[in-house]
Amino acid sequence: MSCGQPHATPCTEVIASLSAYIDGEVGASEYRLIAIHITECPPCEREEQAQRTVKALVVRATTVSRAPGSLHERIRVQLAPDRPNAEQ
Amino acid sequence: MTEVVNDPLRADETAAAVTSLSKAELSAIFEADALPYLDQLYGTALRMTRNSTDAEDLVQETYAKAFAAFGSYEQGTNLRAWLFRILRNTFINSYRKAQRTPFSDSAEELTDGQLLDIETRGAGGVRSAESEALERLGDDDINQALASLPEDFRTAVYLADVEGFSYKEIAEIMDTPVGTVMSRVHRGRKSLRNLLTEYAQERGLLSAGGEDQ
Repeated sequence: MSCGQPHATPCTEVIASLSAYIDGEVGASEYRLIAIHITECPPCEREEQAQRTVKALVVRATTVSRAPGSLHERIRVQLAPDRPNAEQ
Repeated sequence: MTEVVNDPLRADETAAAVTSLSKAELSAIFEADALPYLDQLYGTALRMTRNSTDAEDLVQETYAKAFAAFGSYEQGTNLRAWLFRILRNTFINSYRKAQRTPFSDSAEELTDGQLLDIETRGAGGVRSAESEALERLGDDDINQALASLPEDFRTAVYLADVEGFSYKEIAEIMDTPVGTVMSRVHRGRKSLRNLLTEYAQERGLLSAGGEDQ
C-alpha cells in the first residue's frame, strides 16, 4: 500500500506507528515526520482517518456505562459498616 | 491575651493527627478520593467481564482490596491508575485464571490465531469511503466487535480510548512493558477496524471491492 511517491519516512514505518501517533504517544520529531508523511501520502492519510474513526467509534459506543445505585450503596456500606444509615 | 498559636506547633499537631487517623476518618478520606471513580471502574469491569453481575462483584471486590491497601497507597501518586491496577489484578486472579465466568452470554472471544488472521487479512487496502461507512454502524456492532477481541487487547484499547490513560499508565495497570501496550493497542485497533469494515460490507454500507481507483 503506497501512493508510489518516495517519502522520507517509509509507509510501513508510518503505518506501524499510527496508533501511537493518534494517541499522542510518539515523540516530537517522530510526530513531525509522520504528520508530514500523511500530508504527502493519500493512502496513509486514509489509514490514519480510518484509525481515528475506530477510536472515536469506541468512545461513542461505550461511554454510557454508569454503575448501578445499588452497587454504590453496597460499597459504601462495605467501607463503613458502622455509619448510621441515611442522613436525611 | 492569647496570641495565635505559632505554626510549628500546628504542623506537629497535624502530623500527629494524620498518623493516628481512626478507621472512620480513613474511610471518609478513601470514600471522598476513591468513590468518584466508581463509574469508570464499573465501565471498565463491564468490558473485562462482559456481564453486569460479574462487573458489579469485581468492582466491589476492587474497592474492598483498595481500602485494605489504602494505608500503603502513597498520597499524591496516581490514585486513579492505582485503582485500575487493582481492578485489573482482581480480574486476572479471580475471574480469568479461575475461569469463574464461562462468558456464556456474550460472543466468543477470538483466539490468538483468529485475531492474527483478522489483523492480517486486512480489508484489502484503504477505501476512501471507509471512514464514512464505519460511522454509520450502530453501537451494537461496535460493542460486538470490541467484545470479540481477546481481553488483553480489548482492555488496552478501552483504557486508551475511553479512559484516556497514557501507554505508561496502561503499562502499570496491566503490569506489562510499554512496548506491549503499544502493540496491543495497535493490533486491537487494527482488528477492530477490519471487523467493522466487514460488518459495514455485510450491512451494504461499503462495497467489498474497494472504492478508490
